[in-house]
Amino acid sequence: MKKVLTLILAVLVAASVFAGGGQQASGQQELIINSYMSDQAPKEAFEALVADFESKNPTIKVTVNTTAHEQFKTLLPNWLTSRQAPDVVTWFAGYRMQAFAQRGQLEPISRAFPGNTFQDSFPEAFVRASSFNNEIYFLPQSWYWWAVYYNTEVFDNLGLEIPKTWDDFLAVSEVMKQNGIAPIAIGARDTWTAGGWFDYLNSAINGMDFHVQLTSGQVPYTDPRVQKTFETFADLQTRGYIMPNATSYSWQEAATLLFNGQAGMYLMGQFIKDVAPAEVRDKIDFFHFPSFGLPGYAVDTPIDGFMVPANARNKDAAMKFMAYLATPEAQALFTVPLGRLAANKNVPPPNDDARRGLEMVLGAEGAMQFYDRDAPEEMAARGMDALLEAMQNPGRIPQILATLDQDRVRIHRD
Amino acid sequence: MSMTTAKPIVRSAPDMRKQKALLKGAFYVGGTLLVLIWLIPVVIAVFTAGKSMAELMSSPFMWTPPRQWTLENFRSAWTNAGMARYMMNSFIITIPSVLGTLAISSLGAYALAFYQFKLNRAILIVFVSGMLIPFQMLMIPVFRFSDAMGLMNTYRGVTLFHVAFQLGFCVYFLRNFMRTLPFSLIEATRMDGASEFTIYLRIIMPLAIPSIAALGVLQFTWIWNDLLWSIVLLNANRVMTITQGLANMQGQFITNYAIIAAGSILAALPPLVVFLFFQRFFISGLTVGAEKG
Repeated sequence: MKKVLTLILAVLVAASVFAGGGQQASGQQELIINSYMSDQAPKEAFEALVADFESKNPTIKVTVNTTAHEQFKTLLPNWLTSRQAPDVVTWFAGYRMQAFAQRGQLEPISRAFPGNTFQDSFPEAFVRASSFNNEIYFLPQSWYWWAVYYNTEVFDNLGLEIPKTWDDFLAVSEVMKQNGIAPIAIGARDTWTAGGWFDYLNSAINGMDFHVQLTSGQVPYTDPRVQKTFETFADLQTRGYIMPNATSYSWQEAATLLFNGQAGMYLMGQFIKDVAPAEVRDKIDFFHFPSFGLPGYAVDTPIDGFMVPANARNKDAAMKFMAYLATPEAQALFTVPLGRLAANKNVPPPNDDARRGLEMVLGAEGAMQFYDRDAPEEMAARGMDALLEAMQNPGRIPQILATLDQDRVRIHRD
Repeated sequence: MSMTTAKPIVRSAPDMRKQKALLKGAFYVGGTLLVLIWLIPVVIAVFTAGKSMAELMSSPFMWTPPRQWTLENFRSAWTNAGMARYMMNSFIITIPSVLGTLAISSLGAYALAFYQFKLNRAILIVFVSGMLIPFQMLMIPVFRFSDAMGLMNTYRGVTLFHVAFQLGFCVYFLRNFMRTLPFSLIEATRMDGASEFTIYLRIIMPLAIPSIAALGVLQFTWIWNDLLWSIVLLNANRVMTITQGLANMQGQFITNYAIIAAGSILAALPPLVVFLFFQRFFISGLTVGAEKG
């Protein structure tokens, strides 16, 4: 009996070690894509896209591996240096992509676009965000906008108008507060929700150029202009306009308050509509971030797309996929079901919301990628923490900014 | 969870009996309360799993039972989110890992417990100190090593690392248990001419079954619940484990709590079944060997 048991044990161990499957035959035409699209809707849209690509390229078999977003961000540097790197990976345009290109871990994708086809397909700002040292490393696919989302029912019931200036915004907030509605929802347990506030406040108060200089590390955070941004945000809390216990809500939990009408406004990305239950979706609308009197305005428009690792094993198939992804048909196939905007300028906006979003973006003097994509990720993480700390301790803003600037000096030196 | 072994001792004094009854009553009330408190998160998870996403998003009260029970989330977790595949993978990785760890560590423990050799203590200390190294420190070396050896995205890669990393604790645990066995058992068998392997297999192992079973349950739970090594070593959906599957249900922006709750309940079932199966060994096995170092 014991002997039999031991024998089974030994066989099982041996079997798992030596025969344990999982090694695949690396056929010439297998295309491996590692994706962070773990949300249900984007995942399904991407599956449809891949199926369409496969039907057009019958010799290529595509394998999509999905990894949760946060883990994906941590693991990608490992994968890029791996000898068994994936052939295509999802990623963000701008600084986050350029950091990898600088280390030589990416394959230029220009050869998938003979002549000027890349430049003809995408707006100039996107081409710039996709390039490093005059080489194209990134294929922009979709993008979305950040704006102030609001509950139209709350606005109608209180007879409020959409605020155009910051003073209007404060006045609207005051009315809501008097009526027992939290003016501003923010799920600050996800610190990135503060990143939107940082981008919009800083660019609206100090201008787009200053914001770009700040996020690229050229201006100290101790600059009085930055202090103004932080104080303005902390002021919202002092006035009691920010929902109570904001730091204990995730962004999605805070969105529930907006949907219920317990909160009035929420600075958020377009994806907030994806979580709205069907019966309230039409009650949620957006307006552009209020003005501080500057002539132009900037918008947060993160661009998502794809890149090819330098260690990719099947670069030919990867290039075919890149060329396919850039076509208006492929871009529409992904963005239309999601209500996002396609990067390719020949794709019309999929619905009315998107049309208004596009208008807002086209009217802007400049587009930001979002704090944690314009600045090194660690810097952005510190900055967003600092903003939330300032919200809770308005009196300590100078000290908070001094610490933050030490981080800037250290992070940008590396 | 609750066990009562104390038999009431018959005493003649009636107030003594009254006091006993009172204590017993308090014990049951207290115990029940504790169990209920511990069950709250589980109940909330079950409620959440039974709700539709729309109901979840429109009502902030997660502790209320669903207005309308739905099994849709379980179905969705099992098929759409691919839990079926992930669970299979978890079994393929966990079972050989547990068996491998137990087989190798019991051999090591046998040697460390009964052989007198110069570096005995030193080797034991190596095993124990291995337990103290935080695994996160080893992530990059492990990744580089597996990448170079072609162990990425293979079941055997993860299994080997699980076995290696669990050895420290298991050897230490089993060695301490084996030290409590009388050495004369071994001397007598040796005298009768048994080979060392026979002694290990026929004398020591049968005696060690309670602690091996307890250890097996512990190991099963730990390895089943492991996320770190799966994340580091597996990035193809084909081989991913159930913990990764659960993590993948969290989107970049949108988290479907209902499906995650359903998936978590499914993922928690196998360790639960294993525990119930080996429960009788568990309590007795864990404390054996605890008192001798």
